Amino acid sequence: MTSVTPEEEEGLLVPPSPEYARRQNIVAAIIPLAVGVIAGIMSWNLGIGTLSNPGPGLWPLAVSVAMVVTAAVLALRSGPTGEEETFTREALIVVVAAVSLLGYAFLFERIGFEIPTVALLVLWLKGLGREGWRMTAIISLGSTAALYLLFVTGLGVSLPHILPF
Amino acid sequence: MDFFSPVIAGFGVVFQPENLFYCLLGVTLGMLVGVLPGLGPAATIAILLPVTYNIEPTAAIIMLAGIFYGAQYGGTITSVLLRLPGEASSVVTAIDGHEMARQGRAGSALGIAAIGSFIGGTVAVLALTFVAPLVAGFALDFGPAEYTALALLGILLVSTLGTGSTTKSILMATIGLLLAAIGQDPLAGTSRLTFGSDQLLDGIDFVIVAMGLFGVGEILYSLESLRGKSAPAPSVGSVYPSRKDISESKGAITRGSLVGFVLGILPGGGATMSSMVAYAVEKKAAKHPEKFGKGAIQGVAGPETANNAAATSSFIPLLTLGIPANATMAIMFGALLLQGITPGPLLVQEKPDLFWGVVNSMYIGNVLLLAMSLPLIGIFVRILRIRAAILAPLTILITMIGVYTVRMNVFDMYLMVGLGIVGYLMKKVGFEPGPLVLAFVLGSLLESSFRRSMRLFDGQLTGFFGQPIAATLLVAILLIITVPPLTRLLRTSRRKAEA
Repeated sequence: MTSVTPEEEEGLLVPPSPEYARRQNIVAAIIPLAVGVIAGIMSWNLGIGTLSNPGPGLWPLAVSVAMVVTAAVLALRSGPTGEEETFTREALIVVVAAVSLLGYAFLFERIGFEIPTVALLVLWLKGLGREGWRMTAIISLGSTAALYLLFVTGLGVSLPHILPF
Repeated sequence: MDFFSPVIAGFGVVFQPENLFYCLLGVTLGMLVGVLPGLGPAATIAILLPVTYNIEPTAAIIMLAGIFYGAQYGGTITSVLLRLPGEASSVVTAIDGHEMARQGRAGSALGIAAIGSFIGGTVAVLALTFVAPLVAGFALDFGPAEYTALALLGILLVSTLGTGSTTKSILMATIGLLLAAIGQDPLAGTSRLTFGSDQLLDGIDFVIVAMGLFGVGEILYSLESLRGKSAPAPSVGSVYPSRKDISESKGAITRGSLVGFVLGILPGGGATMSSMVAYAVEKKAAKHPEKFGKGAIQGVAGPETANNAAATSSFIPLLTLGIPANATMAIMFGALLLQGITPGPLLVQEKPDLFWGVVNSMYIGNVLLLAMSLPLIGIFVRILRIRAAILAPLTILITMIGVYTVRMNVFDMYLMVGLGIVGYLMKKVGFEPGPLVLAFVLGSLLESSFRRSMRLFDGQLTGFFGQPIAATLLVAILLIITVPPLTRLLRTSRRKAEA
């Protein structure tokens, strides 16, 4: 990745084209619509009962129906609202960040909190934030120690760890 | 003197060194997040929820409350100096505040905002002291029917009065209700929508939803502009407003206190809306409305007073009815639940120490904030230079480790990151997480009181109209749903007739 030029940076603020916004709005309405339909079917199968003696599925079914109806209204009124934002190349950073967080959770209990914490800090500071090496080293080691002090010493919770404490 | 003895005892609670410390910590953190754009008070409180779990309840709520109203002070600084509102509630302040800064009057703008905030906050606490016990007393007789209507009204008002599109907000609210329905059926114990997972049997913890959508979601969103340079710290000048500034702002501060207090109590009101209404009120009341947008000091004093008054008064519905009025209060609700305290009308009687301790801490907090925003403002201006690239990884780690400590469960980390991704996507396509979180919080109350009412009324929906308070609230709901589309229809048909 190259560094972002001022023009590119300004380019981030350009609102999406109407077609892009419309497409985005339709997708954003269809996903909850689908979730609502699935949740509705699952609730139905749980048993509805009656209003005076409701089954476990009645409440989630009512909520699912409301969800499907509002999502359908949104899908039909998909015109641009000015609230949409384009997914630019910068969104890749978010993908990397999200994956790194899942990786962090994966390693956390397996190898203790120390190594994943330092690794995540290095990745975010150096890889995503383009800080210098010196800054990265100081902050990642310093904050791992600070987090240890906050949670283990300060709040007395035990975290999975490899260093004896 | 029955009324005042618990109030005075509450001051005893505040002046315990531990509580004073957490009050100071809270308002300082609030100032900080207010100054730093990107992380709002809702996100900060959400992120700190697991940390508060290990603190004594009164101290925890005092600290979280401090973050909330402290952020209203801090948000002003970036609005005025950089035209970058740190908080949504300071957006309107940027209009005239930044204009004043450009004319070299940044200090006056910040000073009057701090003084206005202090007065607004203090007036609201005073009013809260008298109003809250009355509301709580009134609500003692509420049964399931009233709570069904009240919860429904709260969700609807937040959806309709919020900043975004109403349909989108209602969709968010339904998603929140659906997420709340995951887990065991509250009455029968059958597992619902868990996909056979034992982890979901107890339902999704509110802390995870709040931390995911607000905390992780906002951090992920801020990553897109991660590499932006830090802002240069601008010069401020004297922050002590002149006598002329004060005499020009007197009216604005009085009106702002009133507007803020009233709108703060209403569900869906809160700090953001009241600051906008206060700006409009000032513009209407001004002798020289043409000065607005060109550095009118009333345009700073009014909204800044109002957002602080509202931040304080929005505690009333939470602490007296157990109904949060906005997203931040929803998270505060979660914080109380986490401590094993159910906010509601009984809180004043059963936990007077907590109730009056928290309320009275706001007086102290406002004094502390005034001290921080006048003599110490230079320090906070310098904090503007901390780069997002450094802040983001630190906050995310506190969030990740924090959510783990609630149940010592890695599954919660995955769930929170998943919700964080959803929160990021929602922001990108223009959906507000507020109504979702609020509906999630009220979901179980709404369901259980609805089902209990249905049993009482033998399955007849019309039974609600037999209860005067519930019926009134339901009529209000009907009006909220039907009036705006009807007026829109009327207006378009009239326009067509004119054309």
